[in-house]
Amino acid sequence: MMLARSVTCCLVAALAGLALMPETVSAQKRGGTLVMLVQPEPPTLASYISTSGPIGQVATKVYEGLLEYDFSLKPLPGLAESWTVSPDGKTITFRLQKGVKFSDGKPFTSGDVKFSVLEVLKKLHPRGAITFRDVTDIDTPDEHTAVFRLAKPAPYLMMALSGYESPMLPKHLLEGSDVKTNKLGNSPVGTGPYTFVEWQRGQYMRFDRNPSYWKKPAPYLMMALSGYESPMLPKHLLEGSDVKTNKLGNSPVGTGPYTFVEWQRGQYMRFDRNPSYWKKGRPYLDRIVARFVADSATRTAAIEKGEAHVGGFGAIPYSDVKALAKLPHIETTTRGYEMQSPIVQLDFNTQRPPFDNQKVRQAISYAINRKFVIDNIWFSFGKPATGPISSNFAVAGLYTPDVQSYNVPNGIQIANTLLDEAGLRRGANGTRVEIVHDITPYGEEWQRYGEYVQQVLAELGIKATLRHEDVPTWLRRIYTDYDFQLTNNWIQTLADPVIGVHRLYHSKSIRPGVVFVNGSRWSSPRTDELMDLATVEPNPGKRAGFYKELQQLLVQAAPLVWVHELHFVTVHNKQFKDLIVSPLGLYAPFDRVYLDK
Amino acid sequence: MIDVARRFLRSRSAMLGLSILSVVIVVAAAAPVVFPGSPFRRVDQPLLPPFGAYLFGTDVLGRDVAAGIAHGARTSLMIGVLATAVAVAVGTVVGGVAGFYGGRPDDVLMRMTEFFQTIPTFLFAILLVAILTPSTKSIVIAIAVVSWPAVARLVRGEFLAMRGREFVVACVCLGMSDRRVIFRHILPNCLSPIVVTGSLIVATAILVESALSFLGLGDPNTMSWGFMIGAGRTFLRTAWWLCTVPGVAILLTVVAINLLGEGLNDTLNPRLRNR
Amino acid sequence: MALPRVGGAPGYVVRRLLQAVPVILAIVALNFLLLHLAPGDAAQVLAGEAGSASPEYMAQLRERFGLDQPLWLSLLVYMKNVLSLDLGFSFRHNMPVLDLILQRLGPTILLMGVTLVLSVGAGMALGLLAASRVDGWLDTFISILALISYATPLFWIGLMLIVVFSIKLDWLPTSGMETVAAFHEGWARVADIARHLVLPAVTLSLFYMALYARLMRAAVLEQAGMDYVATARAKGLSETRITLTHVLRNAILPVITMAGVQMGALLGGSIVVETVFAWPGLGLLAYQSLFARDLNLLMGIFFLSASLVVVANLAVDLLYTVLDPRIQAA
Repeated sequence: MMLARSVTCCLVAALAGLALMPETVSAQKRGGTLVMLVQPEPPTLASYISTSGPIGQVATKVYEGLLEYDFSLKPLPGLAESWTVSPDGKTITFRLQKGVKFSDGKPFTSGDVKFSVLEVLKKLHPRGAITFRDVTDIDTPDEHTAVFRLAKPAPYLMMALSGYESPMLPKHLLEGSDVKTNKLGNSPVGTGPYTFVEWQRGQYMRFDRNPSYWKKPAPYLMMALSGYESPMLPKHLLEGSDVKTNKLGNSPVGTGPYTFVEWQRGQYMRFDRNPSYWKKGRPYLDRIVARFVADSATRTAAIEKGEAHVGGFGAIPYSDVKALAKLPHIETTTRGYEMQSPIVQLDFNTQRPPFDNQKVRQAISYAINRKFVIDNIWFSFGKPATGPISSNFAVAGLYTPDVQSYNVPNGIQIANTLLDEAGLRRGANGTRVEIVHDITPYGEEWQRYGEYVQQVLAELGIKATLRHEDVPTWLRRIYTDYDFQLTNNWIQTLADPVIGVHRLYHSKSIRPGVVFVNGSRWSSPRTDELMDLATVEPNPGKRAGFYKELQQLLVQAAPLVWVHELHFVTVHNKQFKDLIVSPLGLYAPFDRVYLDK
Repeated sequence: MIDVARRFLRSRSAMLGLSILSVVIVVAAAAPVVFPGSPFRRVDQPLLPPFGAYLFGTDVLGRDVAAGIAHGARTSLMIGVLATAVAVAVGTVVGGVAGFYGGRPDDVLMRMTEFFQTIPTFLFAILLVAILTPSTKSIVIAIAVVSWPAVARLVRGEFLAMRGREFVVACVCLGMSDRRVIFRHILPNCLSPIVVTGSLIVATAILVESALSFLGLGDPNTMSWGFMIGAGRTFLRTAWWLCTVPGVAILLTVVAINLLGEGLNDTLNPRLRNR
Repeated sequence: MALPRVGGAPGYVVRRLLQAVPVILAIVALNFLLLHLAPGDAAQVLAGEAGSASPEYMAQLRERFGLDQPLWLSLLVYMKNVLSLDLGFSFRHNMPVLDLILQRLGPTILLMGVTLVLSVGAGMALGLLAASRVDGWLDTFISILALISYATPLFWIGLMLIVVFSIKLDWLPTSGMETVAAFHEGWARVADIARHLVLPAVTLSLFYMALYARLMRAAVLEQAGMDYVATARAKGLSETRITLTHVLRNAILPVITMAGVQMGALLGGSIVVETVFAWPGLGLLAYQSLFARDLNLLMGIFFLSASLVVVANLAVDLLYTVLDPRIQAA
């Protein structure tokens, strides 16, 4: 494979970065303890092995990623102070921050980057195999330079480099793994359909801060380098051991603003200020404590009384948010979830009657009153969805509202007509067909939503019986056995459609046993093709074009009902400032948070 | 028997219990007439306060709370009675056989009973409901499964005591069949503790159903008081009536059943007759 | 309760414990099979929480958890491990089951112990008081109180106590076992934990107290009609003396039995109260591990619970012999 000789192309906007992260510290004060409500308690702190929501809220205070992001989803410097992308898009060079240390005192180097991405994230992270699919190798010409080599351009990759999605791991802690691991470490992984690319210096572009970068599209890899998505890990603690069972999972060591102190299971996790954090003077807080309170009413009471200071991701029930917001010491915000972009759906089993018929699916989509659902079940925290891609992607140019609209006033009437056309006639008792409607077991509001849908279906002459099972049972039914007709569901569309959206519609994502992929089992050659094209297309205009056609085709076929874009709410005590400063929200490192009494 | 009935009628608490329970039963029976159609049906704006257009207001989806209470009474009573019937039947058979025959059957059956008693009751009920999928049927089964061992132990004790009594020995000597001795002679004599225990199980069953619903394990298709509390508990402070009305309904019913049980105990328990 | 006369009291205890071993093993095996009836597995839950996962990742998880083994083989391995008191490994928590259980055992015993003492103490006192003023206004009042605290759903009482005593009056903390932001040490920590203990212990005690009060009342009334009471009265003993030295001693037996049963439930904790007050007990852990299909952990808790039931039954039997010399355990 021929790789173009590198052309330096400076991309990072130093000025823009500074403007977004003001260094003026006059208002910020040192000290204070922040108590976060985290629900449920995470099973582990190994954010590089599991991406369970609550893990990201705590592990990101210890692990960082190569990049951070601003609210328009543009990459900002993180552990990488600058980066450059080659014109062919196949090489990305990261210049690393100097003087960064892991919380055990060992320095953070390019060796840790390579180890984190290739040895840990790509192999063990649930989304890592997809995110870093095209990363065939990483060069480390010196301690502060990491060169990503790609088999083909990956415009989505830049979205996956947050500490949340791709945490950077300490190589020195992981080093010395078993034979299988070592072998993979020394020769680039060739699992994909691509030929292995040799190390050739100079086949990449240097990256320096450049204001002009911000006007260019962010290739998708760049979206995955946050401390949430791709944490940087200590190679020295992980190498030479089984990463999956390494005790680092329960007692993390990272480069972040806080160091892990203890985890009292069922009660709390404690993180203290990292005194040798590489950002001088940061963080401002002395301590962060994550508390686990199983009951939602009690969580509300704890926030109200000031025993806890922040809760997000539905930790505070929507019904309580409005009442809390009226209190003088409480502030609420729906910002900080721009890299999650969850969509509330109804998933059809498109391989089984009656929902194998497109008209029946469309009918259901017409009948759902989005406004009622948003207002009464999610207490106005939402916005009607138009299709598979969240309107949060409008800033990236990937979203279009120009699709068939199901959100119309006379939806029930259209739905009845469509059902008649589909041949589902009403029987003697007014019933067209009987179905079972599954409820996703992730909280109260999904039950209410199920009850609402049951009533709407009754108006259409569809008699629905509700089924509410626990998480493992439901997952097995929807994604392994496909033994369902209609289920409610919600999917995070994440930082880029390649990472979060394709998995629901691509024929290759029909994979029994894999959860939160294409459980509806609808696909078409053209939509597959469009997704494949968009994955590798570096030109933003062309990419947007592919996504526009994709949205139009999907919305018409209606393999799902996209009901609304769910707005999570973060409720926090006003004494704490600068909590939500990026689209990562609660997944951000919190180095800028300060207490202002 | 008339004597017992008269004594029962004289007991103030028993009569109070009986009257409350009668009201609940009447409400349950009248539900389809007074509140026709599905109680899940939307009738008006969500979260209307009580004592306005609707006696108990409306819930978060605009459903009539009063209709839910009436229809829920049917479910809650049905779950209580069915679960108790199953538990009492199984418990009586197991305990009866163990107590009557003794020896090896007693050993085997009692080890089995102990097994069921070693798992924490409520956790066991949750486990069963989770495995069987939440539905009215699985809730009844779960409550029955965790309740029968207590009945079995009680009945076994009674049978052991009766086994040695002269009239039983006489029956056996006369060559009566075991079945006849058990059903005609021993069982009628230990009915009173069984009835009293049974009444307690009905009350417990209603409470367990509400606790299961509190944890989100109720039957989503059937209106019950537990379901209403489960659905209303996030509004405990913003819409107090959603949780309070079914809570009071449970409280009154459980109290009524208990009063009734106590009344029965007082009238049936011979040792307390002349206190 | 007649017990066979073999050997001395220590011999009896040892024999009872030895007899319990096969029972507990059978319980372990039954629990194992029962739990494996549940659909879905731990790998699916973990992958589900992760949001997305590849088939390779799922296969990796299953291999690591031993979910690719046949059931009978897993059962044999598990039984072998339990015999050597190895409760296995919780893959979800990435910790040995025993460590996890021990972490939660302290708070569980604290809450349940205080509850047991509070409810038995208050319940007996109330029961005795009610029985001594039978059919008077005090009896009626106590009976109504007991009935209402028995019949009100626990979570409702708990949430109301939080609203009143934490939020409105600001006397007590809402939840948790200690003030996490402060990290008190020494006596300050003890006082802090005590303050956190009040609401959950009271909530749970109210329910059990009602049971004991009613049991005590009935038992005292039953004993009051006995011949020996008439004899004592004929001897000219005061009513107080009769009640405290004669009646109480006999009336306490059913209460002890009930307390033994409650002891058995002790390890299970109280899921509802632990949920409402965020108390880090075993009940909530067991509940959460059921939904995570963390079967090793759940079986570990069941195993300990079964063992405790056996020990509690033994303790009750021994206590009987102390309280009632007619019953012999030797």
